[in-house]
Amino acid sequence: MFKGLVGWFHKLGSPPYFDTFAARWSTWCYVISLPLFGYGLWQALAVVPADYQQGDSFRILYIHVPAAWMSLFVFGLMAFYGAIALVWRIKLCEILAMACAPIGAAFTLITLLSGSIWGKPMWGTWWDWDPRLTTELILLFLYLGVMGLYGAIDDRRAAARAAGLLSIVGVALLPVIRYSVLWWNSLHQGQTIRVFGESSMDSSMVLPLWIMVLATKFWFAGSLLSRARADNLRRETGKAWLRERVEKSS
Amino acid sequence: MTYFKYVAMAYAVFFIVLAWDFIVPRLQIRQQLREARNRLARANRTTATPVDEELSR
Repeated sequence: MFKGLVGWFHKLGSPPYFDTFAARWSTWCYVISLPLFGYGLWQALAVVPADYQQGDSFRILYIHVPAAWMSLFVFGLMAFYGAIALVWRIKLCEILAMACAPIGAAFTLITLLSGSIWGKPMWGTWWDWDPRLTTELILLFLYLGVMGLYGAIDDRRAAARAAGLLSIVGVALLPVIRYSVLWWNSLHQGQTIRVFGESSMDSSMVLPLWIMVLATKFWFAGSLLSRARADNLRRETGKAWLRERVEKSS
Repeated sequence: MTYFKYVAMAYAVFFIVLAWDFIVPRLQIRQQLREARNRLARANRTTATPVDEELSR
């Protein structure tokens, strides 16, 4: 089985094979994420009772928390692909690493904006230079830096390696974001939801959150494959397989 | 304590950003495939030109 998996991974490195794979599976990932989003949002907005202290504003949590988790997860994954691309020079990993950046930036932007919108009625301010907020803002700048660096160098492979290196360096920020609420006095609340162990939220409120977390994962997979496919096509401009494929389709 | 305005704003941001995330790669793929089709059409036009119609010195 392991041999088969390695063989499949090698096959995935072939641009025409990846194009077919990404076109098929990105659609499926989006298709799976949509009912999950639908159910999660319906639960979050219509079924779950309002919080006894925060009222309905706590419903923002159902987009804020999954987006915040994705912002960290995507950065970690980008650095992982970046490291593989740097060590083994696998072109597909360069493409995947660079495809992660705009999606991660999008989730970070959602995190910051939804948090800010929640903060206005709850904290009385749109923004505070709190450790959690500030480190999340730095994460957004890092994503933008990776995207900018990738776009600034003409040679795609050199650009991906340079941006991949920046993402590896940036990984040091992830534990700082994660533990900022413990290390410093923070306006931001501490850990409420635990993957392992009991959450301090009621279980009826936690289930829709997990569904939203799952939905964002599938959305990310769909978006990653779409963006990677676009970059793969750009790099393969003028290649025989692309010509044949276009000829066949037209 | 409905805070409807804030909840609506946050969810609007969520949908707008995800819509952007969905649309942009699709546009990029479409553009790349269109360019590939144009390139193929140009190549076909060049090879389809009869030899006697080519300019000679």
